[in-house]
Amino acid sequence: MALSYPVGSVRAALEWPVPVALQKVPRPEEPVVIATVPSATLLGVEGQSVSVEVHVSQGLPGFNVVGLPDAACRESRDRVRAALLSSGLPWPLRRVTVNLAPTSVRKGGAGLDLPIAVGLLVAAGELPAESIAGSAYLGELGLDGSVRRVAGMVPMVEALDSPAVVVPSDCSAEAALIGRHRIRVAATLGALVACLRGEAPWPDCPAPQPAPPVPMGPDLADVRGQHVGRTALEVCAAGGHHLLLCGPPGSGKTMLAVRLPRLLPVLDRDDALAATRVHSAAGRLASGDGLVVRPPLRAPHHGVSSVALIGGGSALMRPGEISLAHGGVLFLDELGEFPASVLDALRQPLEEGVVRVSRAKASTTYPARFLLVGATNPCPCGEGGPRGSCRCSDGARARYHRRLSGPLLDRFDLRVVVGRPDAAALLGGPPGETTADVAQRVAAVRELARERGVRTNAEIPAEQLDAVAPLSPAAAALLEYRLRTGSLSARGLHRVRRVARTVADLAGAPPLIGEEHVSLALGLRAEVVASEVAA
Amino acid sequence: MIGDAGGELPAEAYGAALAGLPAMGPARLVALLSRWPAADAWARVGRGRAAADAAVAGACRPDPAGVALGWKRAAASVDVHAAWSAYGRAGVTVALRGSSAYPSHLDNDQEAPAVLFARGDPGALEARRVAIVGTRQCTRYGFDVARDLGRELAAAGVAVVSGLALGVDGAAHTGALAAPGGAPPVAVVGSGLDVVYPSRHASLWAAVAERGLLLSEAPLGARPESWRFPVRNRVLAALAEVVVVVESHVRGGSLHTVDAAIGRDRLVMAVPGSVRSPASAFPNALLADGCPPVRDALDVLVALGLSAATSGVRDRRVRETAAAVEDLDPDTRAALDALGWEPATLDEVVSRSRLEPGAASLALARLEREGWIRTDGAWSERVVRRAPGRP
Repeated sequence: MALSYPVGSVRAALEWPVPVALQKVPRPEEPVVIATVPSATLLGVEGQSVSVEVHVSQGLPGFNVVGLPDAACRESRDRVRAALLSSGLPWPLRRVTVNLAPTSVRKGGAGLDLPIAVGLLVAAGELPAESIAGSAYLGELGLDGSVRRVAGMVPMVEALDSPAVVVPSDCSAEAALIGRHRIRVAATLGALVACLRGEAPWPDCPAPQPAPPVPMGPDLADVRGQHVGRTALEVCAAGGHHLLLCGPPGSGKTMLAVRLPRLLPVLDRDDALAATRVHSAAGRLASGDGLVVRPPLRAPHHGVSSVALIGGGSALMRPGEISLAHGGVLFLDELGEFPASVLDALRQPLEEGVVRVSRAKASTTYPARFLLVGATNPCPCGEGGPRGSCRCSDGARARYHRRLSGPLLDRFDLRVVVGRPDAAALLGGPPGETTADVAQRVAAVRELARERGVRTNAEIPAEQLDAVAPLSPAAAALLEYRLRTGSLSARGLHRVRRVARTVADLAGAPPLIGEEHVSLALGLRAEVVASEVAA
Repeated sequence: MIGDAGGELPAEAYGAALAGLPAMGPARLVALLSRWPAADAWARVGRGRAAADAAVAGACRPDPAGVALGWKRAAASVDVHAAWSAYGRAGVTVALRGSSAYPSHLDNDQEAPAVLFARGDPGALEARRVAIVGTRQCTRYGFDVARDLGRELAAAGVAVVSGLALGVDGAAHTGALAAPGGAPPVAVVGSGLDVVYPSRHASLWAAVAERGLLLSEAPLGARPESWRFPVRNRVLAALAEVVVVVESHVRGGSLHTVDAAIGRDRLVMAVPGSVRSPASAFPNALLADGCPPVRDALDVLVALGLSAATSGVRDRRVRETAAAVEDLDPDTRAALDALGWEPATLDEVVSRSRLEPGAASLALARLEREGWIRTDGAWSERVVRRAPGRP
């Protein structure tokens, strides 16, 4: 479309700040006004308190934000100006400098819009300085003056020391989770200014909505047959042992895995806060969500990048899938299809329960303690049964499983082969035990683990095994036989003993581990990767 | 001509040199060596005159001139003296068809190789000979049956002939070597006798060369090219009196061996397998076509006329096993019954036996230690029971 007006004039009209004539006439000295407003920004999943200093002085009208703001943060000057003007508030035609202290920390996001606007109003004399004392501000501004929610409310509020915090009105539930602050809400900038001037009372926080009923979710009772798969799932939940499900397509691997989170007990306060912080920082908490107390389930597709799984990013650090799964379950379907580099990146977090992400500009630590559930086909054609039952050669099978590196496979204490349930069990069989019944046993076993001083049986230190999980003579003989025939490694021995402890705990917690417990632990730890030569 | 410089070389040296030329298949070698003595054939090849003969040209279709040119070029760079001394160093003997060193059982064969390379004891071929063949991707069942057949036949003085491939072939020779004082095994391989293939069978290969006989129609250094294996199978069939197919998928390589054996009026026998097992599809089809079944070595020995048709041994074994099953405790027996004779996972045992997973895994652990079952990854499979405790 041809422009029907001179471009230059339009640009001049849009030019901002509006040029004003320089006045040579000396004006009376005006005092320099500095307003300081406490706020916070997000660093990884942790909050970082930020002091917003606004300086308004004589000079060429202009507006600068300094103190390592990122792009979204630097753009706040445009949003703040528009919000002020559309709220009927005057824009000071003077030199405005906003400093975000401490300057060494990179500030991201739009959550600093509100404190900048408030600081500007104070510095410009529109608000009395004492009206904002004792309050911190968090919120993004819309061009119409509305105050919008920002991600990471929980960790940011946690980082604030001021007695009161003003937040967007749909963030009040999230902000109140910390419980140390008086939470005030602002729907629009205009309403906030009215409250601060004392012209209107503070609006009530929206009454915390009753927590939405926990979605019932899939129940274990729906799983017909699958006796071994169910047992493995129960042991996995009770002892915190990672689980690898191996079976042909349609054998119910996913069906089992999605039922795992509801078998786990609700998160304790520390874990819930950690999980909430992660979800809040990732912007995944909806308005009205409370603490994340239900163990989450994350099931990334096998196309996931290393950064999306582990966390990171260069400009804006974000928690990855493993941190979103903190306290819950990370389900990796088609484990063999994940790039080997991505899978190997899981090993350190699996070991330590946290992931340290370091980049040139920042480094951070995310919580990442999750139950890993993997699912894989037995061989490339998917139908694989025992050796010789399909045309996949030993070599093809070995190549298929080579992607699952030995060290990663070693992390799976439970490795079971599940088959397609037969038609009779699917159609006529009795329903399985319900999730609620199994969850009760799981909770009891986890309580036993806590009495032993560990979170779960999977974390029992090797040197305590003899004290915590002593073996009966028959159990010791069975393990010795397996070690002698080479079907169990010394490294696997400890893992089998921990699983056997969980199995025994589920069976009434006898102090001595019996042969039946060890044999089930061994049975649930099959080598899904076939050895290469029949001997 | 480099090759003529020293003179005094035996005909076998030229036969081996001819076998090493490019594009030299069994038919071409036979055409050359049946037309001229080996030294003359080599001289003609060296002059590029080999294809001038109608019989040789017929074997070299569709491009006799091109083949002859290729041979001439390759022959120009061959030092027959040096090549011949390499055979001496490798301990590989060369036999031309019609010579006294050539195995008499092969001599009459229509498609007998013109040149045969051997390592080990030529006397191994004097025993009765049974070929045990099958798929490389065998099941535990196939592996065990092949191994047991190999051991029992060798113990009965029968030379086990096989191809040293992975799977059934290797199992048969492993068994034959395990029989104390057993007949020496015979292996017919596709590659040169200094090229061990598959490399996983290096020690088996060495043991067969030590205790028995290794045969090949490929010269030293020949790679295991895929065309050499079907060709090898006809030698295997020609050498054996009986060919036993243990396990083979429908389109497996055993098909070539069986075709070659039937064409030579050799008896083909088959090991029955589950009708659901793809690895037993071919032997089961052979049974349906009327091949005699092989339940154990006794059936083969009867076919060879080495044993009267008596099933006493087998009956006693069945009775003993049944008695031992009676002694098992109820859970263990239920698990064994649920297992049947095909590989099954813990999950399958649990759903068939209705035992709790814990009880089932305990039963399987006991069965394994007492020698009733073997475990391969997640699969347990019942095996013919051996002395308890022996892994």
